[in-house]
Amino acid sequence: MPSTAPRRSDPSSVEALRTPGPDRPGDAVPALSARGLSKEFGVVLAVDGIDLELQAGDFLTIFGPNGAGKTSLLSLLAGRLKPTRGHVWVRGQPLRPGETVWRSRIGILSHQSFLYADLTVEENLRFFGRLFGLRDLDERVPRRLEQVGLLDRADFRVRQLSHGLRQRAALSRALLHDPELVLLDEPYTGLDPHAASVLRGVLSSLKDGRRTVVMVTHNLTQGLELASRVAIQVRGRFGWEGCRDDVDLDTFERFYHGVVENGAA
Amino acid sequence: MPSKRLQTTGTVLAVLGALGTVALHWMVFFWTPTEATMGVIQRIFYIHVPSAWVAFFAFGVVALCSAVYLWLGDERLDQAASSAAEGGMVFTTIVLLTGPLWGRIAWGTYWTWEPRLTLTLLLWFIYLGYFLVRASTDNPERGKRFSAVVGIAGALDIPLIHLSVVWFRSLHPTPVVMKPEGPTLHPDMLVTLMVGLLSFTLLFLGLFLHRYTLAAATHLVAVRERRAQA
Amino acid sequence: MTYLGQVYAILWKDLLLELRTRERVAAMGAFAVLAGILFNFSIDQTAVRPQDIAAGLIWMTLVFGGLLGVGRTFHLEAQDGAFQGVLTSPTPKDAVFLGKTAANFVLLYVVALLVVAVFALFFGLRLGTHPGMVALALALGSLGFVALGTLFSAVSSNTHMGETLLPILVFPLLVPMVIYGVSATARLLADRPIAEVAGNLRMLGAFAVLAVAVGAVLFRYVVEE
Repeated sequence: MPSTAPRRSDPSSVEALRTPGPDRPGDAVPALSARGLSKEFGVVLAVDGIDLELQAGDFLTIFGPNGAGKTSLLSLLAGRLKPTRGHVWVRGQPLRPGETVWRSRIGILSHQSFLYADLTVEENLRFFGRLFGLRDLDERVPRRLEQVGLLDRADFRVRQLSHGLRQRAALSRALLHDPELVLLDEPYTGLDPHAASVLRGVLSSLKDGRRTVVMVTHNLTQGLELASRVAIQVRGRFGWEGCRDDVDLDTFERFYHGVVENGAA
Repeated sequence: MPSKRLQTTGTVLAVLGALGTVALHWMVFFWTPTEATMGVIQRIFYIHVPSAWVAFFAFGVVALCSAVYLWLGDERLDQAASSAAEGGMVFTTIVLLTGPLWGRIAWGTYWTWEPRLTLTLLLWFIYLGYFLVRASTDNPERGKRFSAVVGIAGALDIPLIHLSVVWFRSLHPTPVVMKPEGPTLHPDMLVTLMVGLLSFTLLFLGLFLHRYTLAAATHLVAVRERRAQA
Repeated sequence: MTYLGQVYAILWKDLLLELRTRERVAAMGAFAVLAGILFNFSIDQTAVRPQDIAAGLIWMTLVFGGLLGVGRTFHLEAQDGAFQGVLTSPTPKDAVFLGKTAANFVLLYVVALLVVAVFALFFGLRLGTHPGMVALALALGSLGFVALGTLFSAVSSNTHMGETLLPILVFPLLVPMVIYGVSATARLLADRPIAEVAGNLRMLGAFAVLAVAVGAVLFRYVVEE
């Protein structure tokens, strides 16, 4: 049983966090932080007052059943959704829909590829590269493609790629602009073991101490592999959050189901 | 909770408006003089013109509330816009029913592309778009934003539409020229018209306030229901 | 990269996609020709000279056919969430709008010229002494049209009714474009002096500028989730 005390999502419990917050002088500005983050869709409350604080180098995996609001939370962190309440800061800068500077610091990988099926892999990357204002595309694009093992298929249309290869292309798009915050939404979905191991390889290379990763998944094994922090989201809230090191692999599955059923640890 | 005061104000205004409308009808049928050229049918003018005034005034409210709603995101502004749109559409329909009726009896044709009536017809369709877009969007928040965009784009285009339609009409005058005001407006006619304008405006405002408080209350109920379930 | 660079990237991408898939330009082009054919059978050319009504036919064909193409502006964007990639990039939403509108303009203008060519062929039209002015009128009208169409296409794509909602939203707002566009074209085809057309072209231009400005400002509220 993980030894960290169960954590409720309310501002007063910020002090209980193991990672330092911005209220303690002398500490680094958190790479990603959120306070009281909520999102309502009409009358459906998808995200309910979530607090978050991650330092550079952290890898947070968020587990949770379908409908827990994980994708909505990720969309809020990506600035894709406007929060109903609460705020998000990326390296101390507030996420506001109008401002675009912070978007160049965030890379998003979803189970959708965010690619145009009728353009080639390279054309897609060049397009997004220009949207991100990157100038050195001639050397950056081949480098990224090589990293995911797609350099030889750069002029294949995305339509012609298998799902696994498409995900790799999507990954290269997500990392093209060298984001310091990487958000992954169920990235392992539909990947065969080989594709999954390629993904795992690239993701572990992201743990370079300066990048922050948030991954959402419902696959417990894959989620725990690279995580430094773990959270379980149930019905819009974090039922439990803590350090990966405190998680006992053998009992985690039972623990997870317990949290999901009860709404908290 | 929308204040009780709003509801009471709404009732007061609606009652005043209703009374005014009754008075208007009395004046229309018994008091106001008959217009020389068009005869008795011209009396429909006192319903037609005030309705048109309210129809466009309401749309102005819709556009203004929509613009501020997009800017501030306050739910109440959208409730105000949609409430005004409902009232506005009703009065627009009245204009479109009284206009052709007048035309048919006065000049033998239902529709003559008279510029202001044409503009009102287009306004009716803009209102229709406003409601259709809200109704056919799955995500209600997006639906509200969509209808706000319809309202704002419509309001900005209406002056241009009016200019173009008037210009078009000046090129192709139909044999019958419909001048709603008539050649001159007798002081008694003016009084009747003013009574009409005032009563319809009060009636609209009263209905608007009631509709708004209803929309606000409905929203609160839904929010509380959802919180009770959680 | 500059704002214009981002607009251009989107413009280029849309045109490249259109080149690859030929989805919209084929539909609009076929529509133009087929409309001409149907018009031929619907006009009694012994009673009416096509030259006299050509302006109206051209513009209405452009509006209906254009709506086909503009209605699918966001169709390819919905595939695999590609548009999400655009919206989460640092590109400002108005830049996205301008890029897409520019691409739609290119497509529509090509079709507009095709319509004129087809109708000139089918009905033996004379284009008057200032065909360049006809081209200008079509350009200004097309610009206003695609601006409104792109904005409301983003709206209708997110409703159940989809493209069937687009005419309801757009047609009332297009009245000024139709009035001034047809008038300018009719006068040019009838060889009227340019002075009679200048006012119409100015109004068409004003409409286009207003439509683009309104679209650029409101687009961000439409694409917001």
